[in-house]
Amino acid sequence: MLRYWLIAVLLCSGLWAQTPDASLFETKIRPVMAAKCYACHSSKLKAPMGGLVLDTKAGLAAGGSGGPVIAAGKPKESRLLTAMRFTDPHLQMPPTGKLPETVIADFEAWITVGAPDPRAAAPANEATSALKGMSIEAGKKWWAFQPIAELPAPPVKNKSWARNKIDPFVLAKLEAKRFTPAPTADKRTLVRRAYIDLVGFKPTYEEVEAFASDPAPDAWAKLIDKLQAMPRYGERWGRHWMDVARFGEDNPTSEATNQPYLYAWRYRDWIIEAVNRDVPYDRFVKMQLAADLMPDTSREDRRALGYLGAAPIYHKDQRLSADVIGGFMTDDWDERVDTVSRGLLAMTVACARCHDHKFDPIPTKDYYGLAGVFASTMRTEQPLFEVEPGVEQRYLWVQRRLIDLRYSVSLLTGEASTVVDSESRVARWKVEIEELRKEMVTLREKNPKLVASIERYWTPPPPRPANATAAQARRRQSPTSTEPFMNSVYDAAQFVNGSDPQYTFIDYKPGEPRDLPVLRNGNVATPGEIVPRHFLTVLSKGDSRFQKGSGRLELAEKIFTDAAPLAARVMVNRVWDWHFGRPLAPTPSDFGIQGEKPTHPELLTDLAARFVANGWSLKWLNREIMTSAAYQQASKPRPELVKADPTNALFWRMSPRRMDIESYRDTLLRASGRLNYTMAGPSEDVEAATNVRRTVYGRISRGRLSPVLKNYDFPDPMQSAGGRDLTTTSLQQLFVLNSTFFFDSAAAISKVVGNLPTEATRMRELYRRLLSRDPSPQELDLALSFLANGTLEQYAQVLLATNEEILWP
Amino acid sequence: MAMRNPYSRRELIQRAFGGLGTLGLSAVLGSGQSQAAALGHYGGQRTPGRAKRVISLFLAGGPSQVDLFDPKPLLKKFQGQRPGGTDLRTERQTGGLMPSPFEFNKRGVSEILPKLGGVIDDLCVIRSMYSFNPTHTPSVSLYHTGSILLNRPSMGSWISYGLGSENQNLPSFVALSSNGSATRSGFLPAEHQGTPVNHTEPDPEKMIPNLRNSHLDPAKQRRQLDAVQALNKTFNNSFGADDFLDGRIQSMEAAYRMQFEAMDVFDIRKESAATRAMYGENQSGNGCLLARRLVEKGVRYVNVGLGDWDDHKDIEKAYQKKIPAMDQAAAALIQDLKQRGMLDDTIVLWGGEFGRTPVSESGTGRDHNPYGFTMWVAGGGFQGGIAHGATDDFGFKAVEDRVSIHDLHATMLYTLGLDHTQLTYRYAGRDFRLTDVFGDVVKGILA
Repeated sequence: MLRYWLIAVLLCSGLWAQTPDASLFETKIRPVMAAKCYACHSSKLKAPMGGLVLDTKAGLAAGGSGGPVIAAGKPKESRLLTAMRFTDPHLQMPPTGKLPETVIADFEAWITVGAPDPRAAAPANEATSALKGMSIEAGKKWWAFQPIAELPAPPVKNKSWARNKIDPFVLAKLEAKRFTPAPTADKRTLVRRAYIDLVGFKPTYEEVEAFASDPAPDAWAKLIDKLQAMPRYGERWGRHWMDVARFGEDNPTSEATNQPYLYAWRYRDWIIEAVNRDVPYDRFVKMQLAADLMPDTSREDRRALGYLGAAPIYHKDQRLSADVIGGFMTDDWDERVDTVSRGLLAMTVACARCHDHKFDPIPTKDYYGLAGVFASTMRTEQPLFEVEPGVEQRYLWVQRRLIDLRYSVSLLTGEASTVVDSESRVARWKVEIEELRKEMVTLREKNPKLVASIERYWTPPPPRPANATAAQARRRQSPTSTEPFMNSVYDAAQFVNGSDPQYTFIDYKPGEPRDLPVLRNGNVATPGEIVPRHFLTVLSKGDSRFQKGSGRLELAEKIFTDAAPLAARVMVNRVWDWHFGRPLAPTPSDFGIQGEKPTHPELLTDLAARFVANGWSLKWLNREIMTSAAYQQASKPRPELVKADPTNALFWRMSPRRMDIESYRDTLLRASGRLNYTMAGPSEDVEAATNVRRTVYGRISRGRLSPVLKNYDFPDPMQSAGGRDLTTTSLQQLFVLNSTFFFDSAAAISKVVGNLPTEATRMRELYRRLLSRDPSPQELDLALSFLANGTLEQYAQVLLATNEEILWP
Repeated sequence: MAMRNPYSRRELIQRAFGGLGTLGLSAVLGSGQSQAAALGHYGGQRTPGRAKRVISLFLAGGPSQVDLFDPKPLLKKFQGQRPGGTDLRTERQTGGLMPSPFEFNKRGVSEILPKLGGVIDDLCVIRSMYSFNPTHTPSVSLYHTGSILLNRPSMGSWISYGLGSENQNLPSFVALSSNGSATRSGFLPAEHQGTPVNHTEPDPEKMIPNLRNSHLDPAKQRRQLDAVQALNKTFNNSFGADDFLDGRIQSMEAAYRMQFEAMDVFDIRKESAATRAMYGENQSGNGCLLARRLVEKGVRYVNVGLGDWDDHKDIEKAYQKKIPAMDQAAAALIQDLKQRGMLDDTIVLWGGEFGRTPVSESGTGRDHNPYGFTMWVAGGGFQGGIAHGATDDFGFKAVEDRVSIHDLHATMLYTLGLDHTQLTYRYAGRDFRLTDVFGDVVKGILA
């Protein structure tokens, strides 16, 4: 028996070779593949690179999207080996560098003997253990996506504390921990709190005293109404929204294809106006996504489209390959997906760009279903005045084409000596510019302003400035304009045009939508299945597809129909955060599994339901929150509660905070009598000594954000902010101690009070103007003794620099 | 708000203007350096790395590897030609291979770098760096932040976040003549952003906005600040213990001290004439010298912008003009740190966002080259005197022991005692890292 077996083995050379080769595979081949290849070529990946899987027998045998990688017995025909040898510039593996020659020799020997693969035919067991996010089915049960309805208030022991329906929800949690709420803050604290909260600066002495001496039971409600009716309210609450909308007026770099947004300020003005008018939140958002597609909007309303039209974009050097340009375009769309999904829905959809979301119920297909909407939406400078629709459509396309052509001409004109055929390309583009010019000029008579706006693209550029300083000066020219245009968007699909291998254009197809392929690992070079534009599956009821144009309007509508419970929760949570300095759900832009669950889920649900029932009115929501007992609590610490709940998660007091930079700067300007209340219009440098307008009208540059704003935790305008972390740093205090802004404020105020007759009256007036109160006798003594060796101006700065001044009580 | 005063009137005045006040405060607050350490947020396992600080010398625009640290004799043989493997696409159109006009010594250092050649035993030269993008902005971003997206925190911010500050009187991360991606803190707290300092003028007052009080001398300012702090203490006492209120008192004091400490530390004119001559009295020399002064006083991370290296034409002339200052300054920094016993725990990084092509652009220049380029690291636990990895025969593409920017970041963090997979920050639904989902520690280049 044994003998026959041996003979059989010897006769069949292939089999004879198997035993030693199995060990060759296990000792020399498999460990190398595991260390160097499996990271990208594993059955555990949702989208293995090149479709090639090497950790299973079947995968190795099948090869990748380019065909087999092994030709058993034929090393020269085995692409695996070619790649490892690094001889073919387009086929080199692993990407981390050529492996040692001895390893390559092992692979060659293995292939020569027939590339035996002793692994079991079935995929390894662990293949099924890839990290998977929540399924759509399970996701539909996730707390944040549940319907909202008004809930009965929970029972509480203390029956007298509650002032409105918010309070039992807060109190029940406190009582469960045996905490007691803080006493109501005194009226002078409350009025300070309300002013900072609703209009963004502290009240004057007279305003404090007027409220403190108003005995009417509805004095608080009247104060809220009064403040909400001031135009200052929109400046304050509009700015909150600008954090979420990552408002900015330029791009991190200002190159030929991503120039500053000259009209972004009109978007800011629209926000402020809309907030002042209390435009219902659902409509407020819809207009920012799709004002151009909504029937009941005016042309001025399209300023709202700055949300998309002044979004951060990357420069695209058209000399780069189609893949590189395509990569930048997907980065642009990704920004939109991220801003919309985190900002409006607190969902981290951008996590699903390269793979299905690892935690939340968001498949990659949903990501590309949304990204397609933005691939079908093009930014533009649109006239504020009415234009015949056909003419406008054509104009918008020509505007973009001219920008690209003019950039291309200037790009290649200086490079004639080295660019293959650059001269003929430039000549061709010049012809096209000329044709477009002729076409546009025929429209001039009827549309003079329209045509004037693009004349600059066919006028030869001015000669380059002789020296670097002049060039810099030109670049720093105020990148803003008051021409009657706005940064908005319209429906046009964007495609990379790689037909010229040396030079890449982007094609814009007005009115056409574009569905995107799933990009494996987010890589434009490995497109997969094309997915129709659609809404997030887990949130959809019925058909999730978008069918009209880009789908922007349908997206906006879905957010406020299918996803309305989530959208309402997200906004209520943000508003709560802006009032209390702490949201109910601690991660306001992430309601997913990785986010933190709300401390008061029932309160969030109830308030969201009532927010919707009250017409998505922000002013209603402010009022409801501010008239609660929870909001009116004193902010003083109680040591035992600080210890038990240091972050005030249960709202046992109002959290004392430092004012944000806008309120701080505006308060100081107002207290020193310098604040200029002019609304609207182009932005000005926040740091300019001559700029005494409200901070919301300061220029927000994504490339060069004002250092003062940065130092005071102003959020990066490159990304939708989920809230501000308020830090306290020494660089902030250098600003307080030594800046022109503080000196100017101190000088202005001391000039005003300097005319009063005595040191004591001057000092009392200084206190009233800066801290909105009278000094105590001790404080007055302290101040007067300071004046013995110091000036009124210096003491004004003392008061400006105090903790009391910057505290939001 | 009602104010209750725990002090008598006289006490209050005395505390505000008398010696008591100042003494009391400084006793409470302590000096800057005594509050060192334990401020970092790194919660992962410590690696064996023992480096404490980083000086990053950034050559924006991309220096040319084949003219500096990566000799390629074959360029002469194939001058003007495009043999196989040199058809990689770069940003601009390029011509044939262009040999370096400079000779190289046996250690592979260009003759135009005599000073760095002299400290080559301290340099860990990585010849196999590679990047992903041929355009400045995204590549600069990748270099500093590990991502081409312009919203991620820079390495300096991550390190400041992870390790904290060694000197509360100074910013933990300073960026000399550099901006943008080099200083970005992104979603990390603002205190970790690089403080941008333009060191063109040697006067610290002109470098840091609001550093000095233009109205009051220090004694008068102290008196003013004492008044502020007296009011603050009274207010805080009446309010009750609060982190923000107490923290702001402390940061006021830190700012006050920073005025003097920074005036001293940032002033390179306080160095001896010999030291200044060693570094060279120019922008590069001043930057490197200032970086040394800063790290000496506990600044965690200094990025020094070393000029513009984007030489699309006339590279030979340009190098003859600008290399000597850079060469002298960088070499002096290494020598000086070594002499002071600081090189062992200070990482000096040298490089640009990419290299340059071995093929010519415009006949006399070189285009951007992300496929392969050279950087070097010195000190901080890196192995000196080695050349790691290799580019192809022409210096175009890294082929052996390739090192990505992420690998480099991972390795630098490792030498600082940080595991790059554990230095994370939760934001927008996931734990972000400097190295994103990439990066392998290159242990072979560690001492």
